[in-house]
Amino acid sequence: MERDLLRQSVSYHGENLMLLLKCEQSENPDFKRVAADLSKTLNQRDKEEGSPVLEQFIARKADLLFAPSWKTSTPADERQEESGEAHAVMPPLEQFMEVCFEERRELFYRDVERGDVVIGRINSVRDFGLFITLLCTAGGLERDIEDLEIKALCPLRCVPSTGNHDDPLSYYQIGDLLRAGVKGIDRYHEKLTLSLYSSSLPPHLDKVKLGVISKEDLPLHYTRGEKVTADSSQTYEKLLESSLGLSNPLNVDYLLGKLGVSDTQTPSLMRGLQSKHFKEDDFATAIRKKQSVSWALKCVKVGVGHFKSRRYVEAMNEYNKALEIDTNNVEALVARGALYATKGSLMKAIDDFELALENCPTHRNAKKYLCQTLVERGGQLEEEEKLVTAEGLYKRAIVLDNTFQGAAEALEKLQLRIQKSLELKEQEAAKEQEKTKTVETSAEKLRKILKEEKRMKKKRKRSTSSSTSSDTSSTSSDDSSSTSRKKSKKRKHKRRRSSHGSKKHKRRASSCSDKTVDDDIEWFPAPANTSASYIDQKQSISKLISEGEQSWEKSRCEDGRGRLDDAIDRSLENLKHGAQSEASRPGRPDVNGEVTDQHRTQSISECARNRRDSSSTQSEYSQKSDRYSKEFSLQGRKRSESERDDGRKSSGGSLKKDIPSNLLDIFSQIAEFEKEKKLQK
Amino acid sequence: MSTQASASGSVNEARGRRSAQDVEDSKTHFRVCRFIIETGVKLGMRSVPMATACVLYHRFFQSASLQVYEPYLVAMSAIYLAGKVEEQHLRTRDIINVCHRYFHPESEPMELDGKFWELRDSIVQCELLVLRQLNFQVSFEHPHKYVLHYLLSVRSLLNRHAWSRTPIAETALAVLKDSYHGSVCVRHKPQHLALTSLYLALQTYGVQLPRGELEWWQVVCADITKAQIETIMSELLQLYDMEAKCT
Repeated sequence: MERDLLRQSVSYHGENLMLLLKCEQSENPDFKRVAADLSKTLNQRDKEEGSPVLEQFIARKADLLFAPSWKTSTPADERQEESGEAHAVMPPLEQFMEVCFEERRELFYRDVERGDVVIGRINSVRDFGLFITLLCTAGGLERDIEDLEIKALCPLRCVPSTGNHDDPLSYYQIGDLLRAGVKGIDRYHEKLTLSLYSSSLPPHLDKVKLGVISKEDLPLHYTRGEKVTADSSQTYEKLLESSLGLSNPLNVDYLLGKLGVSDTQTPSLMRGLQSKHFKEDDFATAIRKKQSVSWALKCVKVGVGHFKSRRYVEAMNEYNKALEIDTNNVEALVARGALYATKGSLMKAIDDFELALENCPTHRNAKKYLCQTLVERGGQLEEEEKLVTAEGLYKRAIVLDNTFQGAAEALEKLQLRIQKSLELKEQEAAKEQEKTKTVETSAEKLRKILKEEKRMKKKRKRSTSSSTSSDTSSTSSDDSSSTSRKKSKKRKHKRRRSSHGSKKHKRRASSCSDKTVDDDIEWFPAPANTSASYIDQKQSISKLISEGEQSWEKSRCEDGRGRLDDAIDRSLENLKHGAQSEASRPGRPDVNGEVTDQHRTQSISECARNRRDSSSTQSEYSQKSDRYSKEFSLQGRKRSESERDDGRKSSGGSLKKDIPSNLLDIFSQIAEFEKEKKLQK
Repeated sequence: MSTQASASGSVNEARGRRSAQDVEDSKTHFRVCRFIIETGVKLGMRSVPMATACVLYHRFFQSASLQVYEPYLVAMSAIYLAGKVEEQHLRTRDIINVCHRYFHPESEPMELDGKFWELRDSIVQCELLVLRQLNFQVSFEHPHKYVLHYLLSVRSLLNRHAWSRTPIAETALAVLKDSYHGSVCVRHKPQHLALTSLYLALQTYGVQLPRGELEWWQVVCADITKAQIETIMSELLQLYDMEAKCT
C-alpha cells in the first residue's frame, strides 16, 4: 500500500476513517504494515464535515485504491499541440476560480521546474542580460501569471549570439515577446533565471523555438484566457461547449492516451470486474479461433468423404470453404494437397504441404505426403531433363523423412544420371566450340575478303608510291590479314585518311560490292540518291571497273608506262562519270574523302610521273602488283573457301546477300589476270 | 452500511409489494449490466461504446417491462447496436460466442447449426425492437469527454509530482465505469456525473486544491450545488453495496 497516499487520505478524513480502515481491512496484511505508522501521525482532520458514506467506501476499497498497481497511467510526455484541436484547450482553471494573488504567486514558485517554458516581455536590456516580465507559461505548467508581474533574468551567457562580432543583446528590444526556458529557480528568494538555449529544455521539448516570437505564437490557453478576462460572461462551461475540440469524436481516445490510461482496460472498483477474474479463454478472439478450427474441420471431413468417392470437384469446394473459415488450417491444407497431388498439380500440392508443415511441423501425414509428392515431382523433372532441380527435391524429401526408401533410391539413380549427363555435356560442349569457331571464321573471312577487295581496287587505281600503299594499308588496318609491311607505310600517311571515313567505306562495301570505288570518284558533291538507284549503279561501276582492269591489264601487258596513267586516268574518268549520280551519302565525312581523293589523284599522277622517271618504280609497282596479285589470289582462295563454307553453313546470310554476282565476275577476272601474268613470266 | 440497508429496507416495506418487485428488478438490472460490461471487456470494447450499450439498456427498460422482454437478449442487442452507433463494429458471431460461454462456462464454442442461426436472428430482430422503443434516438452524450477535460484542468492546478503519484484519473474513470451498473447514468446530466466522479476521486485521496473565489467544481459546472454532488455521490456509492447483494 502506498503509505503516503494513505496518510494523506487519513489525515484529510480524520480518525473515523482510521477506525473504519482497521475494521474493514483487518485481514489485509499490507494494511497492517502501514497501520502502525499511520496511527502515530494522526492528530486532527483537515476536512470540515464528515461523510460517512465516503469513508465507508474508502475503507472498503482501500486495498484497491491504495495499491501500488492501481496507478496504471504513465506520465506521457508533453508534446506540442498540433494545429488541429484534438481536444478543447481551456485557460488555466486558476483564472476562473479567481485564486488570489498571493496564493497564485506562491503556487507558481512552488511548482515551476527547470525545463519549463515561459513567455514574457522584455522590459529592460542591460549589459549583463535581459530582464523579462512573464506573461504566461508555455509548457510544463499552465498557470495564470500575467498579473503576478513575475520578473526573470536572462543572463548574457544564456543568450545565443546571432553573429560573430555582434553584441547578442542588440538583437533584442524592449517590448519584444520572448519565449525562454527556465534554467534556474531560487524558490526562497523567488528569483528565476531563464535561458534561450534549447539545451535548457528537456529532450521532448527540443523542437520548441526559443527566442523572439510574435503574437500568433502565444499559446492557446493564454489567448483564450484573454478573451475570458475581456468578456466576463464567458464561463468555463460556455467556453468548453463552444470549442471545436469538444465535438471531436476521437477526443476521448486522444485524452486517454494523453493521460496514459488504457481504453479497453479501464480500471474498475467493482470486485467482480477486477482483471484477475477474466480468463484469456473467455475473450472473443480466443473463442472465435477455436470455433473456426472446429467449423473448418467439419468441412474437411465432408470433403474427405467426397474425395474417397472420387467426387473431386465437391471435395475441392469443401476444402476451400474450410480454408476460408480458417486460413492455414492444417488438416484442410493437407487434404487439399493430397487432392492436388492425385490430380497431378504437384507444385500446388507441394505448396500446400509446405504451408501445413510451417504451421504444424510434426504433422505425420503432411510429411509423408510431401515426401511422396517431392519424389514424384522429381521424377517428372528428370524426364524434362531438369536434373539439378530434381536432385534438390530428392534431397529435401530425404531430409524430411530419411526412412523413405523411394527417395533414397531415386536420388542414387539420379546422381548416376547426372554424372553421365555431365560427361555427355562436356563432349557436346567441345564439339560445339569447334563448330562455333568454324562458324565465326567463315563470317570473318567474308568480311576480310570484302575489305581486301576494296583495298585491292583502290590499289589498282593508284601508282606504287607510298601514298597508295598507305591508303590500302590504312584501309587494311582493320583487316587481320594485313601484313606488317603495309602497316609501316600506313603510319606515315595516317593523317591523310580519316580512318573513320575509311571504315565507313568498308562497311558500305560489305553491303555493296563496288562501293570501294566511291572513294576515288568523290570529287564532286554527288546528288543524293536512293539506295535503289545506287544498286543499279553497281552494274555500271562493275563494268567500269572491269574496263579499268582491262585497260590496266593492257597497260601491264604492253608495259607502257605512259599508258599506265592514261589507263588509270581513263578508268578513273569512266568511273567518275559512272559514279556521278551515285549515292554519295551526305552523312559521310565527304570532305575528308574528297581531300584524300584529291590527294590520291595527285599522288597517282605523281606516281605516274615517277614511274616514267624511274624504272625502279616499275619494279616497285611490279612488286606491289605482285603483292596485290598475291593478295588477290589469297582473297580468291579465301573467297572460294568462304564459298565452300557458305555452302556448308547457312549463317552469315547478310554478308552473302551483299556480294552480288558482278563481284564474283571481278574476282574471276582477277584470278585470270594473275594466271596470265604468271604465264607471261 | 447497516444503517443505510435498514433505511432502504423500511422504505421498501412501506411501499409494499410493488417496491419489493422494484428491488428485485434493480438487482436484475444490476446483473444484466454487469453482464454487459463483462462482455464488453471480453470483446475489447472501448469505454464509450460500452457506456452507450448500458444506456440503451437502461432507457429501454424505463418504458418496457421486464416481464415481457428477456433482459439478456435485450442486452446482447444493445451491445450490437452500440457498436454500430459508436463506430466500433462487433460481429454477432463474437457476441454470441462470448455470451454463450458466459452462461455455459468452459463449454465448447457453438456449432454452426440451427440454434446458432436462430440466436443470431433473434439478436437482429431485438435490435430493431430496441430502436423502435427508443424512437430511434440512440446517440447520447457521455460524461467521459467531460471528465477527461476536467481532469486536464485540475491537473494544471496541482503540482506535477503530486499528480503523478496520485491515481486520480484512474479512480475517476473507474467510478464512472461502475456507475453504469445502475440507472444513475440516465437520470443525471453527463457533466454532473463527470464532476461527481472527479470530486469523489479527489476526496478519496484527500487532495487539496487551491481555493479562490469559486470552488473548482463551481467553475466547471455553474449550475451544480454541493448538495447535488453529494446526492449523486451517494447514488454512486450505493452501487458498490448492490454488488455485495447481487453477486
